[in-house]
Amino acid sequence: MSRLPRGAAWLAFDGSGLVAGAGPGRCFMVDARCLAGEPVRGAFAHVCALPDPDAALEFDQPEVQQVRRDAMAWWIPLLGASLVCITTLALDEARYGGAITVTREPVDWDDDPFARIFPGTLLPSDLFCEVAPPAGPVVERYAGVAWPGGTFAN
Amino acid sequence: MKLEPGEAFPALDLPDHTGRDRRLAELAAGDPVALLFSRGWWCPKEQRHLRELAALQDEFEVAYARIVVVSIDAPEVQAAFRAGLGARFTFLSDAERRWLPRLGLLEESDTLHEPYRPTAFTLRPDLTIHRAYDGYWYWGRPTSEDLRQDMRAISRTVREDFR
Repeated sequence: MSRLPRGAAWLAFDGSGLVAGAGPGRCFMVDARCLAGEPVRGAFAHVCALPDPDAALEFDQPEVQQVRRDAMAWWIPLLGASLVCITTLALDEARYGGAITVTREPVDWDDDPFARIFPGTLLPSDLFCEVAPPAGPVVERYAGVAWPGGTFAN
Repeated sequence: MKLEPGEAFPALDLPDHTGRDRRLAELAAGDPVALLFSRGWWCPKEQRHLRELAALQDEFEVAYARIVVVSIDAPEVQAAFRAGLGARFTFLSDAERRWLPRLGLLEESDTLHEPYRPTAFTLRPDLTIHRAYDGYWYWGRPTSEDLRQDMRAISRTVREDFR
């Protein structure tokens, strides 16, 4: 298991449920802010990831770059006030394992750009906190933290 | 209020293009910022300049720097304008002119819209003003090259391993 960088937190997914922490299930690193405050009860988490350990791409792959651009260009504005938080799922400093979009209400998940890479599973969730969406246009990661988390500020 | 190099830029708090309340420091998030005050969607000069900025965002997205645009357009108008530009950065709406008089940036020659005077600032991550541009005349605005130079200069001073 990779070292957990500052600003990251563990989240496990077994294909049918999410657990904060390092298991059981496949472990991902997420933007820690998504798990650090008062959780939004009764939310909906669209998990675009697979429990299969081989389901991974490099963050630098063009399709993984583009899906983050799409998130900032139209996915986040489309969700508006319904958005609770959004985080990619990092496996280590370089590899992407998926993404999670969390909303207060059900939305048209067919639009989720992250589902182009790994298919989405919709789960009810009381885990996630409200986090302001990324300001843009930065799509790079900060010191290995899952986008849009992390900062170079002291 | 002095908006000059070396001064701290005021702590703007305005709704973004989705209507969500945002603070300038939160949008900077430890990175340098290009902060632009724009008349609004209707102005051909703004359309041209923001297309230039939308082209430049491909560099900002990999360079750990932020772009923020402020105008008096309502959030839903900004959202449409932003989508048309293909922009992926944040627009802030001062439709209520809450910050405009405090900043002293009213464009007095447009009594129909009462917009911001086109102005731009490059900011350090702590929101200290690095450079200011008065874009009332179009040629006074920062070019893409000006913004590159400013982002380079700021990054050189705030990134410890920038050689």
